Amino acid sequence: MEAVTRLVKIRTSKTTLAIGDGANDVGMLQEADIGVGISGAEGMQAVMASDFAIAQFRFLERLLLVHGHWCYRRIAAMICYFFFKNITFGFTLFWFEAHAMFSAQPAYNDWFISFYSVAFTSLPVIALGVFDKDVSSRVCLEVPSLHQDGVNNVFFSWSRILSWMLNGMCCSIIIYFGSLNAILVQAVRQDGRVAGFDILGVTMYSCVVWTVNCQLALYISYFTWIQHFVIWGSILIWYTFLVIYGLFSPAISATAYHVFVEACAPSPLYWLSTLMIVVTALIPFFVYKISRTLYYPQYHDQVQRANSKNW
Amino acid sequence: MPPPLSLLRPHDVSSGSLAVALYALLHHFPRTFPPPPPASPSGHSKASLMDPLEMQDDSKKSNKPKYSKFTQQELPACKPLLTPAIVISTFLLVGILFVPIGLASLSASQEIVELVHRYDTNCVPLADKVGFIQDTKTDKSCTRTLTVPKHMKNPIQIYYQIGDFYQNHRRYVKSRSDKQLRYKDAAHLTKDCEPEVYGADGAPIVPCGLVAWSLFNDTYTISVNKKAIEVNKKDIAWQSDKNKKFGSDVYPRNFQNGNLIGGAKLNESIPLSEQEDLIVWMRTAALPTFRKLYGRIETDIMENDQLTVVIQNNYNTYSFGGSKALVLSTTSWIGGKNNFIGVAYLTVGGFCLFLALFFVVLYMIKPRTLGDPSFLSWNRCTLDYPN
Repeated sequence: MEAVTRLVKIRTSKTTLAIGDGANDVGMLQEADIGVGISGAEGMQAVMASDFAIAQFRFLERLLLVHGHWCYRRIAAMICYFFFKNITFGFTLFWFEAHAMFSAQPAYNDWFISFYSVAFTSLPVIALGVFDKDVSSRVCLEVPSLHQDGVNNVFFSWSRILSWMLNGMCCSIIIYFGSLNAILVQAVRQDGRVAGFDILGVTMYSCVVWTVNCQLALYISYFTWIQHFVIWGSILIWYTFLVIYGLFSPAISATAYHVFVEACAPSPLYWLSTLMIVVTALIPFFVYKISRTLYYPQYHDQVQRANSKNW
Repeated sequence: MPPPLSLLRPHDVSSGSLAVALYALLHHFPRTFPPPPPASPSGHSKASLMDPLEMQDDSKKSNKPKYSKFTQQELPACKPLLTPAIVISTFLLVGILFVPIGLASLSASQEIVELVHRYDTNCVPLADKVGFIQDTKTDKSCTRTLTVPKHMKNPIQIYYQIGDFYQNHRRYVKSRSDKQLRYKDAAHLTKDCEPEVYGADGAPIVPCGLVAWSLFNDTYTISVNKKAIEVNKKDIAWQSDKNKKFGSDVYPRNFQNGNLIGGAKLNESIPLSEQEDLIVWMRTAALPTFRKLYGRIETDIMENDQLTVVIQNNYNTYSFGGSKALVLSTTSWIGGKNNFIGVAYLTVGGFCLFLALFFVVLYMIKPRTLGDPSFLSWNRCTLDYPN
């Protein structure tokens, strides 16, 4: 059986799936690209050698059509979004270096940078990768040609990857130059005090966190309480962290000491510039999404719309 | 219920396609429906509608996992879908919100009066600028006259603006000792302060490092219509800096007594927490062109008043091609004079209103019913494909 599988794999260069339930199927399962083992009457041998294990043969339909479709979309979206959020963040640091003589002075406090991928932007991505759904399972089963999206690599083509990266670059440019021009060089508050390195860092970082989280909110099509909790919660965690970190003594918090509570929060300019920059950074993607789904819909957009009233 | 055939593409019907072949194959077996949530009044945990294959397991223990909305991914959800109504109303909302904010910001910024006067080129002789500035014996005072274009209400902020001075360079930013500034007995903690670490007598400099060493030392004496007015130099630094970052029992020592003088000298009898010029200077700026607060004038200045400023042009920006300017500015709720935020709001708001209008027009010219399968390419020429 494994010889046949290998023959098919090599001669047709296609992705092969093998399904089996007995110990004699182990070789075939391991040879195929995807091995699906059935646990049951013939024991757990096939299950241990397989990539996916199901309980009954008829569950294969759901595995392929429902979970295959959902997981393909989720993983492709998660990877593209990961690139996007890190490019947005990293390039703001890069543009700052252009104004700091490329001396490797980071624009943000060290702990801000450390916690970016851990606390402020990690949970929403997990929610995207685990929970996102575009159509319900009933629709997936009724319209099996949605499975072709995976075969044709619709969601992870080079054009998608590169356009997410381009989106990240544009967002970082808007965030950096927007923050710069809004809060420098004049006073930021009525008492005449100006923004230094610390206030610029906090403003830019807040804009980055808001932008990447709201970008995710614009992208996903399935909002449960979990998605709301992680997206808005991540933004809240950032502000909470900023306040708490600012309470530590200056020996630990350095430039972040009291910066939000004393300098940023009472300044209307800080809040106005955050709102303006975030909305401006999200407009290009929003316009693209509109023109794509309303005027040049792809097949999966059509299916999603046709079934939107009866999910 | 069979799926609407028009959503299946014609080439899907060919025998080479895996998905449809699989679909046809599996329909020989009974369909799997996701089990509905348990609702039977008898309180059984098993659903009332059961698959035929599981009927015979009724007597034995079933391995079917317990149903929960979370594990079956059926949580109540909001599934927003972009419709023309949502698109148009979103853009309208953003536009209606942003345009008034932009107008308010722009009008606040236009009311602010700001005078920027660059004086470093005019206050030195044309030749040998660096030599002039470094000579300690010459008289460096320089008198400049400014005319006030509009009535300036008090308090009027005075700043010095320096150009091309990279206070955000990594080596410069590192070159300070925060512990030394705060604690009296931390005077020896000068690890990062190279090269300004030890004074002429070998004892550590307090405050050490390049940031303190390069303290700005031009001074401005202002008179309005030949009458001298007082510049209030109190309360120019941030409160948190004065209270928590600079110690009230730390006094300057050995400061600027080496060969190379970088800037101002400090009065050794005033503790660091009251040396507000030093505190303002040590809060590093973000970009090479920056302003720092020098003081405030607490009286009004009328339109067309003649301001005479006597500048002590001590600070050497000539060695590296920097620039110096004196700035007088009023403030409002938005801070200082900056049209950018107002213009940006108006631009974005206007653009969103334009987009809303554009989509309204587009919708009226080419209305598309959502999800109408008759627009799919293979459904348009019904003569060619079977329906």
